[in-house]
Amino acid sequence: MGYLKKWFADALSVCRHELKRISADSGVMVIFLVAGLGYPLLYNCIYHNGVLEDTPIAVVDMSNTAHSRRYIRKVDSTRELNVAFRCSSMDEAEALMRDRKAKGVVYFPPEFGKDIDEGRTATLSIYADMSSFLYYKNLMLGANFVMLDEMKQIKIERYSAGGMSDQEISQLIEAIPYEDNNPYNRTFSYSIFFLSAALLLIIQQVMFYGMSLLAGTAREEGRSFTHLIGRMHGPGVGRIVLGRGAAYWLLFMIIGTYIACLVPAMFGLPQRGSFLDILVLLLFFVTDCVFFATAWSSLFTKRETVLVALLFISPIVMFLTGFSWPVTAFPKFWRLFSYIFPTSFACPAFINLNTAGCDLTQIKDLILCLTIQTGIYCAISFVAAYIEHLRD
Amino acid sequence: MQLETIKNIILRELDIWKKRPIYVIAPLAIMAFCSVFYLTFLGDGLPSDLPIGIVDNDNSSVSRNFVRQLDATQLGKVVRYDSFQEARNDMQTGKLTSVCLIPSGFNSDLQANRQPKMTIYINGLYFVGGALSWQDLLTMINLTSGAVQKQVLEAKGVPSSQMQGMLRPINIDLHKIGNPLTSYNECLSSNMLPGTLQMVIILFLIYALGTELKYGTSRELLEKSDGSIITALIGKFVPYTVFFTLLGMLVEVLLYSWMHFPIAGSLGYMMLDMLLLVLASEACAVFIIGLIPICRFALSLGAIFSVLSLSMTGFTLPVEVMPRILQGFPFMFPLRHYYLFEVQEVMFGSGFAGWWQEALWLLAFLIPPIAVLPRLKSAYFKLDYPKN
Repeated sequence: MGYLKKWFADALSVCRHELKRISADSGVMVIFLVAGLGYPLLYNCIYHNGVLEDTPIAVVDMSNTAHSRRYIRKVDSTRELNVAFRCSSMDEAEALMRDRKAKGVVYFPPEFGKDIDEGRTATLSIYADMSSFLYYKNLMLGANFVMLDEMKQIKIERYSAGGMSDQEISQLIEAIPYEDNNPYNRTFSYSIFFLSAALLLIIQQVMFYGMSLLAGTAREEGRSFTHLIGRMHGPGVGRIVLGRGAAYWLLFMIIGTYIACLVPAMFGLPQRGSFLDILVLLLFFVTDCVFFATAWSSLFTKRETVLVALLFISPIVMFLTGFSWPVTAFPKFWRLFSYIFPTSFACPAFINLNTAGCDLTQIKDLILCLTIQTGIYCAISFVAAYIEHLRD
Repeated sequence: MQLETIKNIILRELDIWKKRPIYVIAPLAIMAFCSVFYLTFLGDGLPSDLPIGIVDNDNSSVSRNFVRQLDATQLGKVVRYDSFQEARNDMQTGKLTSVCLIPSGFNSDLQANRQPKMTIYINGLYFVGGALSWQDLLTMINLTSGAVQKQVLEAKGVPSSQMQGMLRPINIDLHKIGNPLTSYNECLSSNMLPGTLQMVIILFLIYALGTELKYGTSRELLEKSDGSIITALIGKFVPYTVFFTLLGMLVEVLLYSWMHFPIAGSLGYMMLDMLLLVLASEACAVFIIGLIPICRFALSLGAIFSVLSLSMTGFTLPVEVMPRILQGFPFMFPLRHYYLFEVQEVMFGSGFAGWWQEALWLLAFLIPPIAVLPRLKSAYFKLDYPKN
């Protein structure tokens, strides 16, 4: 009983000691405050709209018939596109694209109207600015939408000229009607899909850099936290690693709740999961992150190394969450590589919970992966601390 | 400012490199790793075999044929389900990019012109996969629909010369300027690699200037350069500029020559773009450490700045989507101007007339550091800031 009491007292003092060091370090505080608290706000502001509307395009209408004019009017009225320029030649339109004023060109050849009148296939050309895929997406969606609509009308005319009854026609032109639903992200908003993945990544990366900065500083000054092990009665590794971890755990449960629950609420992101489920996920994730950061931070003997040499990994870890490039298309090696990071399991879990409205039973596999990862990193943290202690 | 003095500073810097080769090895290793990652991770630039869930309640020859055809497309890979419940569950947990529901009686309704309705659910949480499988499904439905139309029209005696016009009155001829294959690889790698280099430059230079303060060697450096901070910086930066510019040019060669990413303009101008990016990033580093001559603080700031610049370029989300009040913000990041320059040269090949403004912007980044030089000098001389 006395040992347990002592154990907790020791761990508590280590925890308190670490919290003091965190608050005394300007570099770490900048990262925790600006990156940890500020990034989520800033990203939300930047990506708040998330949907690109009324992309300006240029139109070259060499046909100048009722058909092409109607097409242009319809394109202009789509949500995606805005006919900002009407040009008399392709050269003029190209110049507008080069000046980045128009993000695409729709070109109607001289024979466009005639082809339609005479029952042939009329072809129009689209030139898309590929500098951002969102321009391309808008141009495709807008022009295709109008094309389908126009085709329907033309088909009605042609079929009825061919002697079909109205009922036959309406049945035929939509032989297989379809209804599409995009339940989780109705407008294909960029912000919903980007932020859902970025939020947890911020928690992990901020903790990793902060903890490694402090570990490096302490080693530089010859007072690594493992020095405390010698001062303990009995095997002290547990108290030190867990006590130090507890400091970060406490801090990041607060920051984490802010990032995962408060920030989405502040910016009106979908919150379809239950608050308790997300809290449970955070418990697993933050615990995993603590040991992940502890294990990796044992590599740094100098303060600056981690930021200078490993900042580049952050965008890579973001891609490894599978938020944009589908996980099923990952090359095998990178798939295995992604298992290093807690976010590779936690981000999909968060997206499923928070945005797709899953419950915990549906993400139990991911939670299991997080737990296994926690176990491995916990073991590494203990061994690394012990080795460092022996070395001194 | 004598050449001799500058030469001595350069030699001093090279000596530091010799003692701590990490200054050279780490940027090389980082860029090599990132090149391998970005160029292999996205493979051919378009994903294939996206899992699409099918609930076939009809199970007729026509519906099975539809499923087989869908499975045979390059984009899609069909996963069959018995109930919508199971399919929904797998979509909710991100295992499926979309779900397609074929109603019972699909075949008989189709034969009798009763317009059986297909229902599609798209998983919009995984952007690329969701959008592409949606497109795949729509194409397949339209093709099936077209086949039915063709059958009926043939039965009505429409001659084959008119058939095409009946089935497809309008056709779109699509030209994708700058990325004809819609490759995500080209879009991403050509911006992420310079972005990583920019990050490396900012961090390593803050570190290089900050360690002089940290280890108290800055006064010696100033004395060696006759008390001129400008001489000291020039001498210190010449080796880095040469090194990073070479590294940057290697990136350009890798992208446009070895990987054969399409480029409408000239590789030479992209080298110029890279040189300007290197200089502007160096200027950012000087500005940050000059503003706050504390190594630990400046490094954290540099890290935040360089990570932010990746989102600010606008190659993923265009700047015009940002709130109006923030739209001027991206101009503070060199990478944004590098990207705009790149768009002009790589996509349109427009040459000087197209990108001179961006080049000027990048050069303008060299001005703000001048304002903080006195402060940096006094910090270097007096060492009156916290050492770390």
